[in-house]
Amino acid sequence: MSSTSQKHKEFVAEPMGEKLVNALAGIGEVLGKRLEEKGFDKAYVVLGQFLVPKKDEELFRDWLKDTCGANVKQQGDCYGCLREWCDSFL
Amino acid sequence: MPVFVEDPAQFSKPRLKSELIAHNVTLPAVESKKQVYVELYLKHIVQKSAADFSSDEEDDDVVEVQDSQDFEEEKDPEMLDPSVLTDEELKTTLLKYGVEAGPIVATTRSIYERKLQRLLKPAQPRQNGGTGDADQYSDSEGDEESVSQQGSPETVSLMEENLHVDIRFESRIPLSSSGPEIKRGNNRSNNQGPRPRPYWQEVATVDKYTMTNRSLFVTPKTSLFKRQIKEPVTDVLMEMFPETEPTPTGIAATRRRPIKGAAGRPVQFKYPDLPASPMTLQRWAVEHRLVPLWVQILVFFIVACLLYLIYAAMEDSLANPFVTLLDNLSMETETEGLSLQAEP
Repeated sequence: MSSTSQKHKEFVAEPMGEKLVNALAGIGEVLGKRLEEKGFDKAYVVLGQFLVPKKDEELFRDWLKDTCGANVKQQGDCYGCLREWCDSFL
Repeated sequence: MPVFVEDPAQFSKPRLKSELIAHNVTLPAVESKKQVYVELYLKHIVQKSAADFSSDEEDDDVVEVQDSQDFEEEKDPEMLDPSVLTDEELKTTLLKYGVEAGPIVATTRSIYERKLQRLLKPAQPRQNGGTGDADQYSDSEGDEESVSQQGSPETVSLMEENLHVDIRFESRIPLSSSGPEIKRGNNRSNNQGPRPRPYWQEVATVDKYTMTNRSLFVTPKTSLFKRQIKEPVTDVLMEMFPETEPTPTGIAATRRRPIKGAAGRPVQFKYPDLPASPMTLQRWAVEHRLVPLWVQILVFFIVACLLYLIYAAMEDSLANPFVTLLDNLSMETETEGLSLQAEP
């Protein structure tokens, strides 16, 4: 399993609070802007989108790809980041 | 025609249509809901058979229809068009396929619609002329169903479907040309929603096949393989080559997987479903060290120097090094003093 990035570790280390979507692992500037345009301006909104399909990986990935055009790696990073955050704080 | 099965709500939409045509009733618009057909059926056909059957039966039918309106049980999917289904229908249809859907709200509806479309796809021929694709998808669906029957969690079965998809995409010939083609076919057939396909969908599709999926599939893969070890050997073989149909004598010709890094195939496409080999694990460990290499070497040298100084200080307690040190110092001060005196 590839090790997690610095961004992932920082996100998972504490409650997300009012962090922006850019703080999510796998979501950089471009993807973050696209998500914000669609109305997902904070990380917790994306969290909501992750929780509603009952944390299902495939559905969340599809949604992410369709919403902001994330590739497989970015989808995986974001999903892993959110899942680990949920394991720790939810 | 048996009398006790006269529940039009249980008929499929095509059946209702044919019944209406048979009784010379004008059909409603094609996109109308099944309920419209049911009402028309009841209105015209039940009236016709009122002479044959008692009025009690008719009342029963009406009551039954009203009851079934509440939960709207369906045997067949609604014209294979998920966008026509209500939220409840969508949820029950997904449940039929073994997918435990969460709440279907505005934001999640499109996700579930797309999922249902993907599940329904084996019933429809693909536009890309990929009959092989249809077979593969139907096989994966079969695997998914059999896996779900074994009581495994939904995510594992979904992972397995992804695994099969990945294997298949690997074993196909040039990935760069066929990959986006297949994905575009997906996009085209998925284009029922009002959402247009933005430009970056094309880029994203290429990326899908150039990125390694390895990190995602390690955990479920181990459980998958543990399950296979308990099963007989033939299942493993079928698992490895799902696209071949079982013949009476056993599996016939099987397509060999591409050799690692051979014939221009990038090494990334080797065997994503196998657990990472120790060499690759070591390589990853080396690549992803926390502290950079040069910093480690620098620290090592600093520590070595410190140790040497300590050793030098400790050697022979206080005798020689200090004496020589003091001598050196005194000599230097003498020379300094002399030079100062020499130059006023």
